Amino acid sequence: MLKAAHPERPDALTWAFLGLGVLLLPVGLYLALSAPPDVNQGYLARIMYLHVPGAWLGYLAFFVTFLYSLLYLFRQDPRYDRVALASAEIGLVFMGLALVTGMLWARPTWGVYWTWEPRLTTTAILFAVYVGYFLLRGAIEDPELRAKAAAAVGVLGFINVPISYMSVKWWRSLHQTQSIDLTTGKIHMDPAMLQALLFNLFVFTLLYLGFVRLRALVAALEAQKEEA
Amino acid sequence: MRAEGQKAVGRGGLGVGRVWLLALRDLRLEVRDRAGVLSALSFLAVMLFIMALALGPEEGALRRAAPGVLWVALAFLATLLSTRAFALEVEDATLDDLLLTPGGKEWVYFGKLLFQMLLLFPLSAFALLLSALLFHLPLGKALPLFLTLALGGLGYAGVATFYAGLLARLRGREVLLPLLLFSLVVPVVLAGVRATAGLLEGVPLAEVASWWQLLLVFDVVYLTAGALLFPVVMEG
Repeated sequence: MLKAAHPERPDALTWAFLGLGVLLLPVGLYLALSAPPDVNQGYLARIMYLHVPGAWLGYLAFFVTFLYSLLYLFRQDPRYDRVALASAEIGLVFMGLALVTGMLWARPTWGVYWTWEPRLTTTAILFAVYVGYFLLRGAIEDPELRAKAAAAVGVLGFINVPISYMSVKWWRSLHQTQSIDLTTGKIHMDPAMLQALLFNLFVFTLLYLGFVRLRALVAALEAQKEEA
Repeated sequence: MRAEGQKAVGRGGLGVGRVWLLALRDLRLEVRDRAGVLSALSFLAVMLFIMALALGPEEGALRRAAPGVLWVALAFLATLLSTRAFALEVEDATLDDLLLTPGGKEWVYFGKLLFQMLLLFPLSAFALLLSALLFHLPLGKALPLFLTLALGGLGYAGVATFYAGLLARLRGREVLLPLLLFSLVVPVVLAGVRATAGLLEGVPLAEVASWWQLLLVFDVVYLTAGALLFPVVMEG
């Protein structure tokens, strides 16, 4: 994920991820819109094809930030810090998407855009933690200290990810439980819907990989300029 | 100060002695100075008073709001104390001396944490008594309430110490610290408020105990993570 022969340009893999992601996005949209409506929610359930991949990629992105933050703390290589930064930023975008689509779904379903139930609260907090991550980065001028402090927040902040994921089980909240449960491996979903969801998840993952590589490259260029 | 620190290296060995020494030294400085403890006390008093004024005067509303107000006040108190724990070291440029002492840096974290707990616990007990007065709280279950305060305070202080150390040398730390701290300690706030509210409403202890468990889990997680990460971020 790190090396690039010409550091000033995105490499072929980055272009492949981004190109394939953008090309397949309409296909995913088609699949989502042609999937059968839900028994209880009708057409409204289709927002799930954006909401679930967004949330998953958000979690995944924060996990990658956690991993690369740990790596940075042990190895002190600025490249790890740049990947952590890139992943946190893209993670914020995906988490924001999940929050917004969730609110749009909540309004017709629960009657309100926002309610203080555990899943929503923990997700909002997760979002706030990573906003804090970037505020902290902005506040420190020394690059080495900035990377170190950010890595610490990247590691500590990750504690909230499993809490957010498990909150629907632990507190029996208003938010529905997972349709694809990663802890037990059980799937509660119609195959046609599952297909569309997994396809969208795949497209989002491609986009995530492409964006992170691109963002890390931009960060590397920024660092070069900062040194010069 | 430095003489004491050096003596501790000889005597403390694995660091429990050092932790106490650092905490007691800070406490002595704090007590001699008086300004810090007094400002923390008056901060608590004014904050609780203002909140009671803003939410009152109806008794039921005050009583319902009290646990939330108490824990928010304690969160602010934790940022205040943790900033103070490192402020003097930075002012006198003794932080590096502490960190350069041979044999690990975790003991600095635990020393500062212990110092804060020694102050935070009596202060939060004061806050509880004052809010009992202002918010019409029944204090029938004093011991369980104190236990909740101690568990929650440890969670607050564990994270606050880590962040305060990290931010100690930065400008703008007064704004950053609450921002980073509050978003991370939300589980503690949640469990603390629920446990306190449960105790005040007379919920059976067995039900409150599940919130204590949660608090304990978070304390352990935060303290472990804080102690492991503290030496890494304080280097250099």
